[in-house]
Amino acid sequence: MNLAKLKPGQKGKIMSIGSIGPLKRRLMDMGVLVGEEVKVLKVAPLGDPIEVSIKSYNLSLRKKEAEGIAVEVAG
Amino acid sequence: MSTQLKHKEEELDAELSGHSAAARTITVAVAGNPNSGKSTLINAIAGTRLHVGNWAGVTVEKKEALFEFGGRKIRLVDLPGTYSLSPYSQEEIVARDYLVHERPDLIINVVDATNLERNLYLTVQIMELGIPVVMALNIYDEATEKGYRIDARAMEEMLGIAVVPTSATKKTGLDELLATALRVADAPKQRAPKKLNYGEDIEVACDYLAKSFRTSYPALIDNYPQRWLLLKLMEQDDHVMKELGLDNLDFLDQALHHLRRAHGEDIESIMADARYSLASGLTREVLHKPELRQTELTEKIDKLVLNRFLGIPIFMAAMWLLFKLTFDLSAPFGDWIGAMTEGPFKRWASAILTPLGAPDWTVSLVNDGIIAGVGSVLVFVPVIFAMMFFITFLEGSGYMARAAFVMDRTMHSIGLHGKSFIPMLLGFGCNVPGIYATRTLENPKDKVLTALLVPLMSCGARLPVYVLFVGIFFPSNSSTVIWSLYIMGILLAIGMGLIFKRTLFRGEAPMFIMELPPYRMPSLHSLCVHTWEKGKHFLFKAGTYIFAVSVLVWFLLNLPWGVEHKRDSYLGQAGAAIAPIFQPVGFGTWEAASSLITGVIAKEIVVGTMGEIYAPKKDEKKEVPTLQEDLKEVATSFGEACVKAVKTLLYLPQAEEQEEDRAGLKAAIGGSFTPLSAYAFMAFVLLYMPCVVAIAAMRQEFGTWKWAGVGLLYQTALAWGAALIIYQGGRLLGLGG
Repeated sequence: MNLAKLKPGQKGKIMSIGSIGPLKRRLMDMGVLVGEEVKVLKVAPLGDPIEVSIKSYNLSLRKKEAEGIAVEVAG
Repeated sequence: MSTQLKHKEEELDAELSGHSAAARTITVAVAGNPNSGKSTLINAIAGTRLHVGNWAGVTVEKKEALFEFGGRKIRLVDLPGTYSLSPYSQEEIVARDYLVHERPDLIINVVDATNLERNLYLTVQIMELGIPVVMALNIYDEATEKGYRIDARAMEEMLGIAVVPTSATKKTGLDELLATALRVADAPKQRAPKKLNYGEDIEVACDYLAKSFRTSYPALIDNYPQRWLLLKLMEQDDHVMKELGLDNLDFLDQALHHLRRAHGEDIESIMADARYSLASGLTREVLHKPELRQTELTEKIDKLVLNRFLGIPIFMAAMWLLFKLTFDLSAPFGDWIGAMTEGPFKRWASAILTPLGAPDWTVSLVNDGIIAGVGSVLVFVPVIFAMMFFITFLEGSGYMARAAFVMDRTMHSIGLHGKSFIPMLLGFGCNVPGIYATRTLENPKDKVLTALLVPLMSCGARLPVYVLFVGIFFPSNSSTVIWSLYIMGILLAIGMGLIFKRTLFRGEAPMFIMELPPYRMPSLHSLCVHTWEKGKHFLFKAGTYIFAVSVLVWFLLNLPWGVEHKRDSYLGQAGAAIAPIFQPVGFGTWEAASSLITGVIAKEIVVGTMGEIYAPKKDEKKEVPTLQEDLKEVATSFGEACVKAVKTLLYLPQAEEQEEDRAGLKAAIGGSFTPLSAYAFMAFVLLYMPCVVAIAAMRQEFGTWKWAGVGLLYQTALAWGAALIIYQGGRLLGLGG
């Protein structure tokens, strides 16, 4: 399961981050870390990007970027 | 090192001249996350004393201010807003290079109290540098309103840095912040930030590395902040390794051996984890949130603004409003400035110069060269101010990020970023504010690419050219023809975007990892300061180039002095010289070529020049108004401009101005173009090199002529190619020619 597949309202726990290089670094700097809880809030009106809540702030990312983030669905 | 030496020298100088160290200027760097209210804080502290420029060699904006506080001189340097000090964006590199190499006396770290954990992640990294830090716990008022309780004393205790609650929008806590900053800067030794514990495994590796490194590279370790350097080595930070000329340190592998065995291969993640753990732990200790969380305003607004069905209509409405406010509101003032430089100012200049016995050419140079040149800069001021004001409002309020979120899908499909939409849209009004608006894009690739495409949007200055030609050649379907040109510009922008993506901007697509900050009402003071800075910058920096070109064109038009026929002026000669280039595209006449040359100042000038060339006006003896009448006109017409602007705002109908009769010009153009060559000419005017003002804007935004040059060349080539296809293709299809 990856973050791009979660539906709005679904929560997940980050299991691994498959992205590499600058994208991974940027994700980590924004608090997207293994073990962190993440909740999908919205999908943009045209279907991409998505908005998630992490570390008590809101972050948007493209689905392609979210695909590399493996999550375990939690509630 | 050099800076340290300089400081020592300064101290020595101060002692010798009998002053205390207090006379020294204290350099304070301001660092913080984007959306932490850092700009507002800087604007509130420094106001109009801010000096805006660019960091050397990059498109990142640099703000500085020199001022006195408590009898001391402070130099404030605003670092770009960043989430981290890792070397992956230009902003981050600029910020950390400044901190590492320039070693300011103190860092003010602006922290968003409503978003403590992620902000503290940067704080932890800043503390690695060993420079004294004072934390501005900003947006404190909002945090309190939300029921947050933050134990600032406990935070000071744990970090070993001073913490001052502030609210930049309400201007509270700012004096205390500066006073604290001075106190800390005067006793840097006692106030050094604590060394934070990154966990035993990292600390052991770090100690081991410190010993080996000190023996092998004793010189390096003294020139860099030691803790920071060691941590960067452990992360194998490319930027630092390259700068130090290090690679493959064998003792590094030994130092990291145990860490890797215990935590895995990816040291970067381990370090990010360690830093975030510190930030989380600290947040848990000092922050007490209320048990019951209310639905926040931001959630309510987003429910509407990002709604599946309403999101796009709301976005469209917001964009319509932005466009309308920017252009319609500023237009009366632009027109007013234009009319003033055309009328009273020129009359006054003549009134002063002629009695002094100044020759005609001087009067003409002053009037048609200098005053017209200054005028051509000034007419842009209202629109730039208006654009900056509304764009800054959109950014500060938080809607800009939502606009990007809504539009990203569409823009990304043509290789651009969601935030590219607004610059493109503004381009339809005027390319210049469009180019300036690219500053909202963070990634330099996105920024430059967008700015290169903005001039393909058919701006308001091209419209008079279309109107003139369409009126002559396509009177029965004028709007269709004009629309086709707008569409042509958009399609070519999409095409060129895709081409640039595969050539000049090859490589990984910039990412879209963007914070959606809470909605906030930006402070009016900060908006005005920001708008003023930008407007001033345009006026003096870009203005210089525009003015120079405008004076140059005057010389071209009027030299050799006393030319009877425009054909014999340097402009006419230049036009005649380049006319053959336009032979294959249907308008190889010196008249057309000369008009295109002057159109470089602003595309609507093509019409004016054609007027002068094809149908020169006889000097009419008009009644010259007296000085009193002129002064009255200046004031009343300004009043009229204000009324117009207000009417526009309220959407009241306004009387259309009468267009002057151009029968002579129309007949002359009708005789020297065919409908086909006229269409090719309009396409050429749409596409050929951006006007001088747009070029100056690109030069100023990107700090180099490179991209302005690329824009100039590709567009001119594109224009010629498009005109060629239209003209020759049309002839093949038997459309005449």
